[in-house]
Amino acid sequence: MIRLEHIYKWINNGAARVFLLKDVSLTINEGEFVSIMGPSGSGKSTLLNVIGMLDQADEGNYFFFDDAVHQLKEKQRAKLYKKNIGFVFQAYHLIDELTVYENIETPLLYHDVPSAERKSLVADMLDRFQIVGKKDLFPSQLSGGQQQLVGIARALIIKPKIILADEPTGNLNSKQGEEIMELFSQLNQEQGVTIIQVTHSEKNAAYGSRIIQLLDGMIAEN
Amino acid sequence: MIKQYFTIAWRSLAKNKMFSLINIFGLAAGICFTIVIVAYCWLQLSVNRDLKNADHQYIIQSDWKDKNAGFDLATFGPLAMEMRRQYPELVKNYFRFDGVTSNVSKNNTAFRENIQIGDSQMIEMYGFKLLQGNPATAMREPFSAVITEKQAIKYFGRKDVLGESITIESFNGSKKEFRITGVMKTPPPNSVTFLNRDNDNQIFLPENTLSYFGRDLNTWQNQHIVGYLELQPGANAKRVGELMKVTLSSNISPDLASQVRPYLVKLTDYHLGKENASVKKMLYTLAFIALFILGMAIVNFINLSISKASERMREIGVRKVLGSSKAALIAQFLSESVLIVFISTVLSVGLYAFLRPYFNGVLNTELPEVFAYRPVQFFYLFVFALVLGIAAGIYPAFILSSLQSVDSLKGRLGSMQQNVLLRKALIILQFSTAAIVLSSALLISAQVDYFFSKDLGYNKDFIVTAQMPRNWNPEGIRKVEQLRDRFAELPIVQNATVSFEIPDGNISGSSIIYRFGQDSSQGIAAQILSVDKHYLDTYKIPLSAGLNIDNKAGSLLNQMVLNESACRALKLDPQQAAGQRLRLVGWGGFVGEIVGVTKDINFGPLQQKIAPQVYADVKTVNIYRFISIKLKAGNIPDEIQTLQNKWASLLPGTPFEYRFMDEMLAKTYETELQLKKAAYAATVLSIAIVLLGVIGLVAQNVSKRAREIGIRKVLGSSITGIITLFLKEFIVIIIIACLIACPIGYLIMHRWLSDYAYHVAINAVPFSISVGILLIVTIALIALQTFKTAIANPVKSIRTE
Repeated sequence: MIRLEHIYKWINNGAARVFLLKDVSLTINEGEFVSIMGPSGSGKSTLLNVIGMLDQADEGNYFFFDDAVHQLKEKQRAKLYKKNIGFVFQAYHLIDELTVYENIETPLLYHDVPSAERKSLVADMLDRFQIVGKKDLFPSQLSGGQQQLVGIARALIIKPKIILADEPTGNLNSKQGEEIMELFSQLNQEQGVTIIQVTHSEKNAAYGSRIIQLLDGMIAEN
Repeated sequence: MIKQYFTIAWRSLAKNKMFSLINIFGLAAGICFTIVIVAYCWLQLSVNRDLKNADHQYIIQSDWKDKNAGFDLATFGPLAMEMRRQYPELVKNYFRFDGVTSNVSKNNTAFRENIQIGDSQMIEMYGFKLLQGNPATAMREPFSAVITEKQAIKYFGRKDVLGESITIESFNGSKKEFRITGVMKTPPPNSVTFLNRDNDNQIFLPENTLSYFGRDLNTWQNQHIVGYLELQPGANAKRVGELMKVTLSSNISPDLASQVRPYLVKLTDYHLGKENASVKKMLYTLAFIALFILGMAIVNFINLSISKASERMREIGVRKVLGSSKAALIAQFLSESVLIVFISTVLSVGLYAFLRPYFNGVLNTELPEVFAYRPVQFFYLFVFALVLGIAAGIYPAFILSSLQSVDSLKGRLGSMQQNVLLRKALIILQFSTAAIVLSSALLISAQVDYFFSKDLGYNKDFIVTAQMPRNWNPEGIRKVEQLRDRFAELPIVQNATVSFEIPDGNISGSSIIYRFGQDSSQGIAAQILSVDKHYLDTYKIPLSAGLNIDNKAGSLLNQMVLNESACRALKLDPQQAAGQRLRLVGWGGFVGEIVGVTKDINFGPLQQKIAPQVYADVKTVNIYRFISIKLKAGNIPDEIQTLQNKWASLLPGTPFEYRFMDEMLAKTYETELQLKKAAYAATVLSIAIVLLGVIGLVAQNVSKRAREIGIRKVLGSSITGIITLFLKEFIVIIIIACLIACPIGYLIMHRWLSDYAYHVAINAVPFSISVGILLIVTIALIALQTFKTAIANPVKSIRTE
């Protein structure tokens, strides 16, 4: 599903070139639950952003199914990730001005889903995450765990093939964190959604089927 | 999707209340001003357009070789009629009128009125509507009158006055009843019933009544008649103009004919072009001001939107990650700006309704009420708001939507930094505009003050003027001089004089004068003033040589006094002028003896250079209008009351409509006074918009730099140190803006002032004042705003990360 070949990413700091990713090669198959681990600054988030097509590698090949992502134009890339990838963030990144309902609905608007279908999809999602009663609240009125639930619901509403989660429990207490992780493994096992998460915690990583250790932009352990 | 855009726009407006209010009020002020100006321009542009066959209606103008030799808006009495008679295939219709001023009364109601005496086809030719009466016959019978509904209300208190009568006095004091044969619906703004300020006519008499006033439209000697032509479709106005010249030449003396060239001006163009295109210039000026003020409001919007970007960046990032295209984001930001502009527009319509009376005063017009506008005009406003919304939003929308999603998710400004320069340039533009408007306003008011404070060469203080009933013959002159002496006897009166002219720039006419023994080809054009022997004393016009009129004993010739300009033009030494004889062309061609020479005085508005003038004896010229009475200093209201009583006993039934010389002068400078008010309105508005922008930017700045302030305070910065931090940025901007504004302001004002033969000098004062004001106000504003942040406990702000 995802194939990275010799990915490099760097920034120029004066004359010196600092590598964020250095010769990363990686294959991830459909249905996997991968955890990316590593100390701060090891390039976890950068790798995730590259996989999510939000960022581009400076060198190397990236194949998503049969598409050579490194050769696509920005518009085509956007189209590709818009259709296939759901994002979950540490800081939830809900839109403050929109209610829970509207936040979950927003991706559908960008996918030109007709109004009636939108309604039923959002209703399903609210139901599934048991947040029907909170649909008219604004993000600031929810707890962190609830906000992250909304964030996941929003990521799932477009039925993505893969979910990318950047420290999804980083801002949550342990109980809330456990619930989110339970949810992830349930999604992975019951619905076959591919999940790639970045995490600091061994415990969270254990929910996954595979762990990738990064160090200084290189894969230390796979 | 659109719905969500508007929802989110509305919620973000509600969330950022100050930002929204600043934006909305700034834009509303700009839009309101624009509506006012557009309404005013539209009113001015529609003058004469509502006349019947407006595209074929023309007015005859005269181009005099010597500008002082005749009126450009009048022509020879029979010309228009002759043109119709000779060239019916070119000229479809004609209309001429003579404007007079006389006393009109009904029972106890008496006023001096402008009366228009003209050809009977007027009403039908221009399609004026009669509320009562038959348009075809209303102006046929002698001693009939058509009055406007306004006059009907004034004299009768009602509009259905057909068959009633009003009393109109002739120039020799006789009175006659005029039967009302028509009541005219208030005509649309036009140059037939309202040629200019002095010819706002509301009473119309048929041409056959003219002899009652001792006038004649049908003689070629009369060159004070206003003439209009309606051309046949397809007729060439230029060709008709040439034919007019031919007709004129065969009817007047070759001498005179060589002096003047008649030509046609389309009525639809006439209003904008008249009086040196003053209306057109005013419209351009106002349109520019409106454009700039609107521009400033838009700049505010752009600046505030971009500076708010950091707060919205996360949302932008999230939306991109969720699959939003750049176009969708642009659409979202545009719908936000359109929403803001729509709210502002609604508010500005409210402002318009509220401020209409004020703007009516400034623009000296009657702007339509909000509900008097037609739906299509509201539709235009809607389109305007839409376009404005897009214009204001398009730049921020592009900037914000092109941020990289990862950067914006992390709140990194990245590409935003390079826009700082552009934003600063925009603020500089705003400040420059404000500085230009402010310094111009100061200079305009300096020039206006100069009009009233300049030593005009004579003394206008405590002089009351009033028009006397006319009786223009030696008998009438004797009578009016007796009346003058009665007034002069009053203990409150210092001096009194009878004259045709008062120094308000309205001159009865000009003539060619030349020295006795020479011929008219060596003559010069001079203004002829009809005055009595007290004139120079009353107005304190100093003599530089010789004597006053009527003071030289035993002279058999008509005595006259010249001003120094006339002496110079005639190549006479003022000291030696006395005793010389002059001959006048026209005015009966009399010969006069110069008895004295006065200093030059500013008889007219300061736009004009002082012209050669001849003070001729009222007994020779036999025309007069005004009595000017110089009061002794004292309780003015009491003195006026005394005058009023005296007037009532001496001239029963004649209205005492007095004006102080000051007021007459103010009327001369109406346009300038108007411009002064408009300039101040624009100044207040532009400064308000600039300051709103500054408030907004500083507020954004403060919140963005809260952490920096906290750190600086922990490191030991003082409160003033922190305030200075914010001030520095804006002071540099203001100084650059002023460097740009001063030369531009100088050029603009230099051009404006060059229209005036006498004007104030442009010095550094108005510029320094405006720079000073802008600096002080901005510094005060920023200091006030940052003070709160500067004294706040730094622990809190540092924790924000």
